[in-house]
Amino acid sequence: MIVLDAVAARRAPLSLAKLSCSWGPGAHAVVGTRADGGPLLLELVAGRARLRSGRLEVLGGTPHDDDVRTRTAFVPLEPTLPEAMRVRDVMALAAELRGEPVRDAAPRLAALGVEALGPRRVESLSPEEMHAVALAEALTAARVQVLLLVEPLMDLDPRAAALVAPLVRARASEGCAVLVATASLRDASELADDHVLLRGGAVVRSGASPADLVSLAPTGAKVRVVASDPQALLAAAANDPAIEAIARRDAAVVARGSAVLAVAAAMGRAITASGVRVVEMALEPPSPEELRAPPARPERAP
Amino acid sequence: MIGALARPATARLGRPRPLLVVGGWAALALGFALAARSTGASHGADRALADAFGALVLPLVAYSIVGAALAGRSLTGGAAAVVAFGARPSRAAWVLVAVSVGACCTVSAPLAAAVAALAHGASDPPLVNDAAASAYVGLLGGAAYASWFSMGATLGRRGGGRTALLLLDWLLGAGHSVPALFVPRAHLRSLLGGAGPMSWSGGASAAALVTITVVCAFVAVSRSRRP
Repeated sequence: MIVLDAVAARRAPLSLAKLSCSWGPGAHAVVGTRADGGPLLLELVAGRARLRSGRLEVLGGTPHDDDVRTRTAFVPLEPTLPEAMRVRDVMALAAELRGEPVRDAAPRLAALGVEALGPRRVESLSPEEMHAVALAEALTAARVQVLLLVEPLMDLDPRAAALVAPLVRARASEGCAVLVATASLRDASELADDHVLLRGGAVVRSGASPADLVSLAPTGAKVRVVASDPQALLAAAANDPAIEAIARRDAAVVARGSAVLAVAAAMGRAITASGVRVVEMALEPPSPEELRAPPARPERAP
Repeated sequence: MIGALARPATARLGRPRPLLVVGGWAALALGFALAARSTGASHGADRALADAFGALVLPLVAYSIVGAALAGRSLTGGAAAVVAFGARPSRAAWVLVAVSVGACCTVSAPLAAAVAALAHGASDPPLVNDAAASAYVGLLGGAAYASWFSMGATLGRRGGGRTALLLLDWLLGAGHSVPALFVPRAHLRSLLGGAGPMSWSGGASAAALVTITVVCAFVAVSRSRRP
């Protein structure tokens, strides 16, 4: 559905260099900060940025083809909606322009829990509400086959936040290609089935599971355990050789080590030894800063 | 499709603020006309049309209408909302320019006729003929200015070129030499009874206004087509 072959693009100060990827139906994440070029990549696929070189194919054509354009929905972090119109009229306008039958806006907005916004004028919406309306339009448009979402869970109306991921996965299972650009590995793992890590405009790694995502950080994997007595858990785990660093964060204990399974096993041993009650245990995705950190160098002999 | 593309721009133009601004400029033009009538000027219509309507009110009415149709953004930015739903950028830009031109003409033609009728003096041409001719000139001028400012809205990230072209029109259009040929102001002045640029006839100035309308619209659309 989306094929990039040695694609290069530039929008100062960002650039994408010789990027080659392809995505079919399903939910996919492009992980990286804005400076790494994720949003620029999505703009390129949406035909909003100029291709400098290479080949870009979307739905068998170019992003500028009329048929491709109406079947592609691009939702940036700050989407533009027509001011002076009511939200329900915007939904009708979008359907008309996409060439699909105009349906009642209420159920489409209800898919993200924002049906109450239907009678409101666009200029009265907060940025979070506007983001939710744009997402609702894109995710419920019947003709759309390619969904390009920039940080879909960021700055979003709280009513919609919990409903985005199931809707994204539902559209992906219907055969749409959903491409999510995000700096958050947590959001990426929640929304997508596979992930590519962009750094400085180039793909540096890719993975297909949360464990892959966790291991993307050069600093190692992290396991977070919320326990009834975090101090006791911390004391029990502190001396385990599989754990390189450990810290308490409120009711949680976060342990880091080079191998995710070894760290998880060490925390399991510590839980048994300390006898604490575990409320939650999860892999902690690395932050964008950790992803950007250089890999640790092996120590040299003197 | 065209109707759908025009809907956001017409909705923007129907908001209270643009209506108040345009209404304010129209009231100013009518005020000048009434003042000319009250002083008993024999060429009252000529004076009100050339000095107030053509020189001041029409450019500012067109500037306000184009700004409102584009929501104060660039032509690309004004079309972004419909392009996001799959509309072709060039088609969306054409429709925005057409809506702006249409709205300007809808205001400028009757306003010019009303100014001519209100300020009509003893030495002016017969009232009906003068009002009809003024409406025709208002139509040409409104279209030219709307297209001119639409082209300006393609310059700068937020369409700041619109203001630059307003100033350029005032600067170049005040003269009668070659640079004045390229801006609407000098040709409008010629059609409203003033001296034309390079001593061009009224017919030549009318053709120039049509040319400015067409050329600026093409330039605006071609510039907004680029991603």
